[in-house]
Parts: sequence; structure tokens; C-alpha cells
Amino acid sequence: MPFRLPGGGPRISVDNDRCELYGICAMEAPDVFDLGQDGRLRFHTRLLDETTIEQAKMAARCCPMQAVVMRGDLDG
Amino acid sequence: MADGDRIVIVGAGVAGLRAAERLREQKFDGEIVLIGDEARRPYHRPMVSKALVMGTERPSDVGLSHYLPDLDVHWRLGARVTHLDTTERVVHLPGGESLWYDGLIAATGVYPRHLPGAPRHDPRVRILRTVEDSMAVRRCLNASKKPAVVIGAGLIGNEFAASMRHIGRDVTLIGHAKAPLHRFGDRVSSGIVEEHHEHRANLAMRSEVRHWISTKDTVGLHLTNNQLLVASVVVLAIGSVPSVDWMRGSGLDIKDGVLCDSKLFAEGASDVVIAGDIARWPNLRFDDTPRRVEHWINAVESARHAADNLLMGQSSAIPFTPLPRAWSTLYDTRLQMCGMPSLAEDTVTLADGITGFVKDGRLIGVSCWNKPRAMLDWMFELDRRLPAPDYVPEPEPAPVAEVPEVPTVDPAAIAALAADVPAEFDSGFDHQAFEREFESEFANDIPTTAFPAQAMPAPPTTAFAAQPGAALPTMAIPMGR
Repeated sequence: MPFRLPGGGPRISVDNDRCELYGICAMEAPDVFDLGQDGRLRFHTRLLDETTIEQAKMAARCCPMQAVVMRGDLDG
Repeated sequence: MADGDRIVIVGAGVAGLRAAERLREQKFDGEIVLIGDEARRPYHRPMVSKALVMGTERPSDVGLSHYLPDLDVHWRLGARVTHLDTTERVVHLPGGESLWYDGLIAATGVYPRHLPGAPRHDPRVRILRTVEDSMAVRRCLNASKKPAVVIGAGLIGNEFAASMRHIGRDVTLIGHAKAPLHRFGDRVSSGIVEEHHEHRANLAMRSEVRHWISTKDTVGLHLTNNQLLVASVVVLAIGSVPSVDWMRGSGLDIKDGVLCDSKLFAEGASDVVIAGDIARWPNLRFDDTPRRVEHWINAVESARHAADNLLMGQSSAIPFTPLPRAWSTLYDTRLQMCGMPSLAEDTVTLADGITGFVKDGRLIGVSCWNKPRAMLDWMFELDRRLPAPDYVPEPEPAPVAEVPEVPTVDPAAIAALAADVPAEFDSGFDHQAFEREFESEFANDIPTTAFPAQAMPAPPTTAFAAQPGAALPTMAIPMGR
């Protein structure tokens, strides 16, 4: 059992200097990202289960501006 | 592929990296050799014509990440494969080196097309493909205060023009089409003309270069519209050609990219898959004509799919049926496209800023002018209307011995059966009327102006989007959990 800090595990953040709100992430990871009707992007910073982690990775790969940053133990 | 096998990936761009990443995700534990002709690890190439040429991102900051604890790849950067031998399963490298493979993923991408007559020996006549290209263009710009010129009115040409205006340089865009980006539909095309005018970028449409004049410090261009331009740098952006020279003589069909089956396997080789811009494959979601798709997201998706299929083997592989997506930013306007607009016969306005592309009464593509929220809905809608076909694996050919003998039937008996069928059975059903009804119902499904059946939510007209030229809302809001 690897040692984990409390609140560890995978996290995501979005580089606001890069993000141009195309919403590709909301298409790849609808459970993590939401491009609201007001044009703002909302997202969950903590990823809890395998599905959302995989979705978030795909969003990070497909992001046109490469603005999605993933940290922590990505194996879940 | 089995344990201990070696997979060679030729091309270390986004597709090469994503293919390697996918192989490891699928627990392939053999050797992966990733060969690239550039000396850099994979980076985000779309930034070459935008942030890198403007100088707002440094080359060291544009590398692509992978999302694995360990990619475990042997890098061969700065090496260009010279020849492929698909019978011996070997790629040849400079210096007489040869590298055997059990599986090959080819993802060498495209190279900017040469403009006949352009003096490429002049250091101020450049292309935009690599980080080094963007640095060279910046050096030219720093050496002279003269305007920049870009030839080609496609995405890269328009992006470069917008980038130049963004850093306060004068720029002229030369194109032989009637309007820039005309293949994205009139809405996008007229929008971009307006944007260029507003930002005082010069357009020289329907024109070409008649004469090139190279001087010590500048390049002179005499255009067919009799304009004379003096430029600090001239960027050639008139499209691209697939980098497939290294496959010449391999037996693969490389007329336009590499001809593949629907599963991205190269025709004529069961251990070679193709990813990214050079794959010419039939996307069964649209039809069975093999085509190339030169979009960045397609490179990500095709590379992952090609890696999956290579591991599964050709017989159990799955066809690649994506909904192609593309994007661009021109000034402060976001441009998006999905589907295959190039196949369309007609366009239709679906909503404010959203153009639909129609072929044979079917919606096959959508383009969007600065409406990402509405575009998201339309992409899902297009995906629903144009679903990927259900894939039924080809059945294993049955052994000949097991084929049951067909019982012989007396033709006279069949004739007797046919005669027994009552006459009204035949006339009770009007096939033509049925087909007419079916067609009209189908035709009603064509997106015209309104969508009564599948009404989409109204596009968000936020304060940001509604005012032209207003700053984009670039604030993403994290939500705790």
C-alpha cells in the first residue's frame, strides 16, 4: 500500500492564460468539465473514480490549447 | 503483438507520442522505438503559427505531456528513416543502420507545400512547421521593420496574419481564392474578412505572385493585381504534402498519404498501421472513400485507435469512425468545425454563427463562428444524426467440408407455390407510395432553417460573445468536490 497524503490522488487544474474555452474538454469529459451557458468553464478539481480519471486524461490530450494540467497519482 | 516484440513508431509528433502512450496503456510490455526527424521531443505544433511566432510562449514550454507513470520509450530523435522494407520488416536509418520491427506505426505527418517560383534559398522566404521555423520567422521580423507577407488563405495563413497584427506588425495575406477560408462556409468566410479589415490586415485575394525580387535586406513581391509589396519575411502556407517519401518502394500505396483499410492498417501489410495526417482511410461513418484528415485532434484519436488495432491484429481490429473536429483562433474569435464540410453540396444556417453542411439531405458537418457552447450541442447532435455504423466482425470463413449440401428443389414445385399466392396480396401494398412517404419523411429531417423535431437550446448570447472584439471570458472556475 503506497503512502498517500490526505487529499492525495489525481487532481486537475486549467491554465487560465492558455484556455480559450473551446469546450473540447466538456465533450471528452462531460462528468468533469462543464461549459456553461454563460460561456464559463467549470470543473471538478478532484477526480474520484476510474471513469472520470480516464475522461479527464482524454480531455487533457485533446485540449486545443493544452491548458488542462493533471497532477498526482494518475493510476487512480 | 506478443511479449518481447518490438514496435517501431516513425514520426515523433503528437500522433507518435499518443500511439506510444496507448500501447503502454494497453499493457504492451515489449520494446517501443520512437523515431523523429526533429531533435525535439513531441510538442504542440498548433502553437507554431500562433503563440510561438508571436513570442508569447517559449519553445521549452510547449512540450506535450503523457499521462503515464513511465512511457518507457527508446527515443531516436534527429533521425530520419530513409527506407521501409515491409517484407523483411525493417526500417533503414542513415549510416546504414537497419532496425527490425514486429509492428510499425507510421505517423510522419505532412510538410508545407512548395510554391513554384518561390526563392526558398532566400532566408526571408519561410515555411511554418517546426519550432525552429517559428524562431527563424521571428529573427526575420526582428531584423527589419518592413511588413510581413503570407501566401495562402487557409487556416495557417489566416492564423499567421492574425498573429502578426497581434504583435503590431503590418501584414498582407495573399490568396488565389475569392475569400479566405471559403471552405468553412460564407458565414465564417465573411466573418474573417471583416475581422482582417477591423484589425487592418491587408488582403490581396484572387491574386498570385508574378515576380519575386530578392534584395539584401528585404523581399519584393510583384503581384498579379499589380501591387508591389516589400516584405521583411514571406511565409508560404499554401497547404501541405504528406511526408511519405521514406515508404517509396515498400509496396504500399503512397499516392496521397498511405492507403489504409477502415481499420488503419496499410493496404498490403498486416503489421503496419498508419496514424495522423498521412492516413488515407475510409471513414465508414460517412462513406467508403478513403480520405485523409489533416486535423490535430484526428492525430490524437487515430494514433490511439491505430495502436489498439495493431495490438489486436488485423482480423479482430475495429474500424476507425471518428467525427473529425478542428478549431482555430483568429484574433479573438474562436472558429470550430466538425464532420466533413468539404463533402457538402449545400450549406444552411442552423443558428446564429452556426453553419450546417448538407449532402444528400443529410447533415454531415457543422462550422461555428465564436459560439463554443452552441457548437458543443451541435457536435452531439451531429453525432446523433450521423452515428458510427455498428461494426459486425467478418465471420470466420467456414471450412468447405462443413458446408451442407443444398437440397435440390423441383422448379415446377416453386412455380406451383407462386401461383397459389392470391392476387390481392401483391396489389394491397403500394411500394411507390411507401417510398415516397419514406423519402418525404426523410427529407423533413433535413436541417432547413428551423428544427421543430430536435429543437436545440438557444445558443448562449453572453455579453462576451455578443460584442464583437470584446475580450474572451478566459476564466475557468474550479469547483471543489
